[in-house]
Amino acid sequence: MSTIFFRRQWIVPYLFLAPALLGTIVFKLYPIFLGFWESLIYTSFGGGIEKRTFVWFENYQYLFDDPLFWQSVKITSILTVIINPLQISISLGLALLLMRRTRYIRIIRSLYLLPIGIALPIATIIWGLMLDPYQGLINGFLGIFSIPPQPFLVSENQALWSIMAIATWKGVAFWMLFLLAGLEDIPTQFYEAAQIDGANPFQKFRYITLPLLRRTILFVFVADTAANFVLMVPMIILTKGGPMQSTNVLVFEAYRSGFYYQDWGRSLSIITILTVITLIVIGLQLLFLGESRSERKI
Amino acid sequence: MIKRNLIIALGFFVLFATLSFGVRADSHKINLVVGEWAEGPLTPWVAEFTEATGIEVDIQPFPFRELLATIEVRGNAKADDIDVIFVDAPLVPSYAVRGMISSMDPYFADTDTSNIFAQAGIDAASWDGAMYAPPLNNSGQLTYYNKDLLAKAGCAEPSLIESERITWEEVVECSKKITDSASGTWGMVFDQVNRYYQLQSLPESMGGGSGVCDGGLSVKGCLTNEGWMKAGQWYHDVFNTWAISPKGSSQGKTDQLFASGKVGIFVGGSWNEGTFTGAEINYGIALHPYFAEGKPVTGCNSWHMGVWNYSKHQDDAAKLVRYLTASPDVALSYVNEHGQLPAHHSAILYVAEHPKFNNFPKNVLKVATYESANHCSTRGRTPAFLEFEEIVNTSFEDIANGGDPASILQGAESRIESSMRRYQ
Repeated sequence: MSTIFFRRQWIVPYLFLAPALLGTIVFKLYPIFLGFWESLIYTSFGGGIEKRTFVWFENYQYLFDDPLFWQSVKITSILTVIINPLQISISLGLALLLMRRTRYIRIIRSLYLLPIGIALPIATIIWGLMLDPYQGLINGFLGIFSIPPQPFLVSENQALWSIMAIATWKGVAFWMLFLLAGLEDIPTQFYEAAQIDGANPFQKFRYITLPLLRRTILFVFVADTAANFVLMVPMIILTKGGPMQSTNVLVFEAYRSGFYYQDWGRSLSIITILTVITLIVIGLQLLFLGESRSERKI
Repeated sequence: MIKRNLIIALGFFVLFATLSFGVRADSHKINLVVGEWAEGPLTPWVAEFTEATGIEVDIQPFPFRELLATIEVRGNAKADDIDVIFVDAPLVPSYAVRGMISSMDPYFADTDTSNIFAQAGIDAASWDGAMYAPPLNNSGQLTYYNKDLLAKAGCAEPSLIESERITWEEVVECSKKITDSASGTWGMVFDQVNRYYQLQSLPESMGGGSGVCDGGLSVKGCLTNEGWMKAGQWYHDVFNTWAISPKGSSQGKTDQLFASGKVGIFVGGSWNEGTFTGAEINYGIALHPYFAEGKPVTGCNSWHMGVWNYSKHQDDAAKLVRYLTASPDVALSYVNEHGQLPAHHSAILYVAEHPKFNNFPKNVLKVATYESANHCSTRGRTPAFLEFEEIVNTSFEDIANGGDPASILQGAESRIESSMRRYQ
């Protein structure tokens, strides 16, 4: 019997995949399903008795009637629309700069990679000190150019931008690594041929670099978008979603509903909605930025 | 070859399964979840408890916010890996209603708790007629002032005499003279800036109440009454109109600012004395300010200890809670070594009678005890306190950052009311 079993070669790759598959089911799919299931439950404590009631989509209905939820949707949308293209543009620009063969390129590359080595909570605390409206380094720097002190994180109009700046400073080096690897993979013959044909730098970038870097950019775009949808460390440490809910992104509102208010029905409803939004946005990115079928055949 | 691959694959699978599921350590220790600030003070007493009873205790310290989050997460999971928890006084109803802590009445049945603890501590520890979490200590608020800055600004020093108690109006007038943005000097700061614990005294002084309506299941009209609205506007003016206090500050920063000699008036707790005495600034203490049109009110109550309802070692856990809260020695060590107000009768008496508390700076404890005993206003009693406090704290922060107090408080009231539906 064992001989027959061993002859079934098809089973071997599945056995190798089994741990990863099991991990995906246990740590990814099951929590998503559990989160959705719990989002349909309303927990009350009336009369001192804990009562869990299956309420179908009532938690979602409460959420859709809540202006705070829509404010979070708005803030998340603004953050997503701005921060992802911003981070990828800067990452790509840096990657292109670091591709240049100069004398100290290894040292310069290392310097650019420094933010990766600093944990986000630590970076956030340091940036919080630097952005202090009264004693912060940034306002001291602005003062050199006679620019008046800015409120940054305590201003309804500047807090989200300040957080975007912190996240971008921390994130671009990481995403740049992937783009740098993608650029290294482009054969130099293409550029040499273009040079002979008289192409200028912009034309080389437009017609050689961008098309050949498309898969890497797509990966970075998708991964960056997913990462920024769950960005909340700066909100937890610096702004608590304020001032005036101006940094209250969906994931922070979910965190606050669950961990501060113990309203897990609301919290998991927001998380479920956020998961769906993330999947839709990533789906659209794949649809519009991915390779077409005809391209894949080439 | 196939056989070898199969064996390797099975090996990976078994290794992964072992790592994933692990082996749960079998432990009979009592797990004590506390605030990180209490780890030092409690450690020697926990060691004594272990020596006396043979019950081992594992102290698990957490920062304030993480402590509350951990208790919530473990409570939601009905986890049995905790035995004793730190309980912030106003959270007693919340934990009791949700069945997260056990009644301590059976474990104090042999004694009259009113002979051990001050009545205010027992009241804070109780819900629905049962005592859930006996008090470990108490708190009181007072005024610290920088003598040099006040003299330079021509302000009279605030007083320790009740009939000469400083008003908030006087604090503002003096702070305007002290504030100098060029040198980074501020008129006044709060210790727990933007926190309900400390700022509740503002609307209370204006006659606005705690913000929670009677019964603890509604805030409608109680968070937007005249007292709260006036207090909200005053708080807004402090940071914006008069700009006498720095925006974006937090607890842990403001006391350092005062200690560095950059603040004229600091309103805080008895625990701040150690920091200021160590900083060697020329400071004095006075009674807590109040609004001229209102009455003196200060924050009070502090941390309590409760037996985790899901613990499998309830009796041992209760022994630990009783040992730490009812022991006069523990209470005295908190007073002498950590400048914390006691909730235990014997330690209260000690502060009242020992001559060292008559002289500056140790008289801080006597002043804070006086404020706590005579002008204490307990925080809103509601099972939804976690939600209430978080939303009120955020509202104070928004007001300080320049938001419109009226609309912020109205929004807060609506959100808290919505949260409270789960308890009605």
